[in-house]
Amino acid sequence: MSEENKIDLELDLKGLLCPLPMVKVSQNIGKVEVGGIIRAVATDPGAMADIPAWAKSTGNEVLQAEKVDGQFVFLVKRVK
Amino acid sequence: MDAQQLTTLAGVIDKKMNRQLKQYIDICARCAICKDACHQYVGTGDFKYLPARRAELIRQVYKKYFDKTGRFVPALYEARDPDDNLLDELYDSAYACTGCRRCMYYCPFSIDTAWILSVAKAILIAAGRGNEMLGQLADAAIFKGDNAEMFNDVMISGFEDIQEEVRAITGNPESQVPVNKQGADILYVALAGAHSIRPAAVIFEEAGESWTISMFEAANYGFFYGDAEKARLITKRYIDEAIRLGVKEIVVPECGHAYRVAEFFYEAWSKEPMPFKVSHILEKVDQYIKAGRITVDKGLIEGKVTYHDPCQLGRNGGKFEEPRDIVKAVTDNFVDLTPNRAEQWCCGGGGGIVAMEEFKDVRLASGIKKVEQLKASGASVLACPCENCRLQIEELNEVHELGLQVWQVIDLVVAAMPLKGKKPMQA
Repeated sequence: MSEENKIDLELDLKGLLCPLPMVKVSQNIGKVEVGGIIRAVATDPGAMADIPAWAKSTGNEVLQAEKVDGQFVFLVKRVK
Repeated sequence: MDAQQLTTLAGVIDKKMNRQLKQYIDICARCAICKDACHQYVGTGDFKYLPARRAELIRQVYKKYFDKTGRFVPALYEARDPDDNLLDELYDSAYACTGCRRCMYYCPFSIDTAWILSVAKAILIAAGRGNEMLGQLADAAIFKGDNAEMFNDVMISGFEDIQEEVRAITGNPESQVPVNKQGADILYVALAGAHSIRPAAVIFEEAGESWTISMFEAANYGFFYGDAEKARLITKRYIDEAIRLGVKEIVVPECGHAYRVAEFFYEAWSKEPMPFKVSHILEKVDQYIKAGRITVDKGLIEGKVTYHDPCQLGRNGGKFEEPRDIVKAVTDNFVDLTPNRAEQWCCGGGGGIVAMEEFKDVRLASGIKKVEQLKASGASVLACPCENCRLQIEELNEVHELGLQVWQVIDLVVAAMPLKGKKPMQA
């Protein structure tokens, strides 16, 4: 992992049903500094639309949204 | 707060306070019967959660601007400016309220406190004090609607995965989760989570239904936020989709407020009649069972089963019997909660409160009546057709060590269906 993608907060969202993964990311984004990154792992496929939509509408940035071994892994950067 | 802001807020109040709401704040006799009806007041004993007190805050600010006594002798008539203190009180009153309307059911004048609190939310939003989380969730949903093409691939990929799971459950390699099926009879508008799609798809497919899945979710945080325009835009996403696909019926999932929004509010917000019927998924399932379109086996569910009426589906939506008929069709071991139907206690998880961390303590405390009901029932399985209720009751289940299994009703149905495939895990 590159230095610019240093993870500031890990969120285990496995087992949570949508929209809770998005809610948890939103509740926790304030816990990292502007420029900080949250790594979130969810299992509900709805998160693949929910979290990017939340990031776009709040002005934050999803650096990564990938399905890895049946789990959905997100890197979310706090922009403001 | 400067004069311009106060003028703006007075305008909001003037716009929202129709004749019905003015009548409500005039006729409240402060009898306090509502105190014994409100799960939050009963659970906390905190005066600020007394329904009549919540409405009183709106009466105070209304009198300040629109009543001569309040305008000229505010101290004598308890009229107040919407200053920071009052806004704080309005915030707690309005956003903590689950909108269950049990207070209205017991009020001798049927005062709709939840409706009065919609004025409080309008004031808070106009003052820039609306709940941030609910606002964000609403905006994310609207963004998805405005940029649907951006999410097409991930949505379709998700539906394909769910389709494989459905085939494994039915044992039928032809089972579908149809997407964008022009001319289908039903558009099923699920929640964002796969748990609300998988069992519904099994049931639709086994019933031989003509259906297609919506690209949008039914949950509506604009409604909880208190912004009718956001709520309308969120609903409009799937209304437009239904019109485009030419369906005959929209079916909403096991989500209390989603049913109420689609069935009762959207036409009022949009001022346009819907060219199709709105049904709740449990109405359809009840019809399928009674018509013999799906088969359920009473011997497959173990333990005593009870049912919780979500406030938005039951007391506020009028759907009491269909869910019970379904549960009774899948088990002979059914016990109702006491009280039930229109008198059912709110679990404490509605109105979007499960998404608002600041109300966690009052939310859990307000669940005590539900805990008492569940313990008294002796049930080991709870069927509950509302996402917010399930989240709350699962947390109460853990905190109070109730040992309950909390199921969607459609999960219970699928578990009772003699299917060829593997039994699904509970959602």
